[in-house]
Amino acid sequence: MHHNPISIKNLSHVYPDGIRALHGIDLEIAATERVALIGANGSGKSTLLLHLNGILMPQKGEIVVGEMPLRSQNLTDIRNFVGLVFQNPDDQLFMPTVWEDVAFGPMNQGWRGKDLEVRIAEAMVSVGLDLDKYRQRQSQNLSGGEKKRVAIAGVLAMQPQILVFDEPSAQLDPRSRRQLIQLLQTLPETQLIATHDLDLVLELCDRTIVLSEGKIVYDGNTQQVLRDREFLLAHSLELPLSLSFL
Amino acid sequence: MLLHIPLIDTCDRKSSKDDRPNIWTNLTVHTRLLCVFLLVFAIALTPMGRWGTWAVYGVITLPILYWSHVDLQILGKRMAIESAFMSVILLGTLFRDGGEVVWQWEGIRITTQGLIVLGSVSIRALLSLLLLNILTISISVPLLLQALVTLRMPPLLVSILASMYRYMGVLTNEFNAMRRAATARNFAPRHLCDRKRDDRPWQRQVLGNMLGMLFIRTYDRGDRIYQAMLARGYQGVPTIHESAAMGWRDRIALGCLILLILFISKS
Repeated sequence: MHHNPISIKNLSHVYPDGIRALHGIDLEIAATERVALIGANGSGKSTLLLHLNGILMPQKGEIVVGEMPLRSQNLTDIRNFVGLVFQNPDDQLFMPTVWEDVAFGPMNQGWRGKDLEVRIAEAMVSVGLDLDKYRQRQSQNLSGGEKKRVAIAGVLAMQPQILVFDEPSAQLDPRSRRQLIQLLQTLPETQLIATHDLDLVLELCDRTIVLSEGKIVYDGNTQQVLRDREFLLAHSLELPLSLSFL
Repeated sequence: MLLHIPLIDTCDRKSSKDDRPNIWTNLTVHTRLLCVFLLVFAIALTPMGRWGTWAVYGVITLPILYWSHVDLQILGKRMAIESAFMSVILLGTLFRDGGEVVWQWEGIRITTQGLIVLGSVSIRALLSLLLLNILTISISVPLLLQALVTLRMPPLLVSILASMYRYMGVLTNEFNAMRRAATARNFAPRHLCDRKRDDRPWQRQVLGNMLGMLFIRTYDRGDRIYQAMLARGYQGVPTIHESAAMGWRDRIALGCLILLILFISKS
């Protein structure tokens, strides 16, 4: 296990239309840490997450994942190391059946036969999906909660050391959201969770990073920042519901 | 009704380097559309082998290209992609009977007549594509559709064109989302050509599945967008906005162009 599986130095990103999404990001995340990334819409959360998996490459600055600098020659290893769960599971599930979709990542890693079956079974069990029941189900006909679980299973089957979630609780009903929180609590991997769901942050993460206009404006204790109403309002955020009545 | 699609509509981005009005951009959109259509028809209807006539049309195209402030890089890319498709059709025109035989191999022969047809069709296609690309790069698709409505094109036909345009945006978005998700789990199309990999059949199967899913998902999303349009009062035909009326400049430009085309075709 690497001591600091994610290390970012002075990362900046400007989109082709001139919008500056990230500006001078410095960040270290330690092994097994569960870190929340919060910020208003357009603050740069998704852009930062896409960099960790090499979907976007650094224009300026440096990203080291594990011990690998983010360069094109390391992309295959980095994508095996960092599992990215997209905000909308419909974006992530594109194979016809659940089994094929969960198998997609491990097959790209070269797994076949019995070993592949074991990986898929383990991943599906860990997200609470019955392999026999879901094996041949069509991905597009699942409920929102089931799709989210399959999307997470598809990433877990690759056995990454870091899990990166973009809005994991978006579009979920309260029961599915509760199940997701319980699931994330049980996963041992290093986790970076970008979300607007501040109650989820309170339950899951000890450390929170606040992004505003592409810059890190806070990096520290979750309880401390989520109780600071003025700071949150200044960065277009609100107190979590569970703290607003205290 | 229409959203702007950056991949298709380049006119709002870097293609327009200079916004200063000129003789061409001062004309209304529907006049410019009409002028380009007239030129395309004239080019296409010019008889085979009249190289001098096409050279004159080529000269007429140059100021339109200059005044439209089109980014030549974008124009070049589009022309290159379209020419690849065009070359497949052009190849068929080469093997015609008539005239002297220039080259022969078993049953296949190239004649002088075939070369004239190939040259004529190539010039017609290239000039027409050039003019149409200048038009679509320098004017946004929603404005062009509005111009078609102003020119009394059947609203249903415009509606079909508008839906096609919208559908291309949906297709592009869905494709990008799927490509991103596949890339995140280490799928790379270059693996398809890597002879060292023993999983190429599976890679091909994945690509096939993705294409199939792309159309199902695009259809689904297109349907949802259509329902959202219906929910906001869409009745199957595009909304007709007030268009700028044809002014004296437009009438003079159209008149001059028609006279010029008649003069060129007679001489």
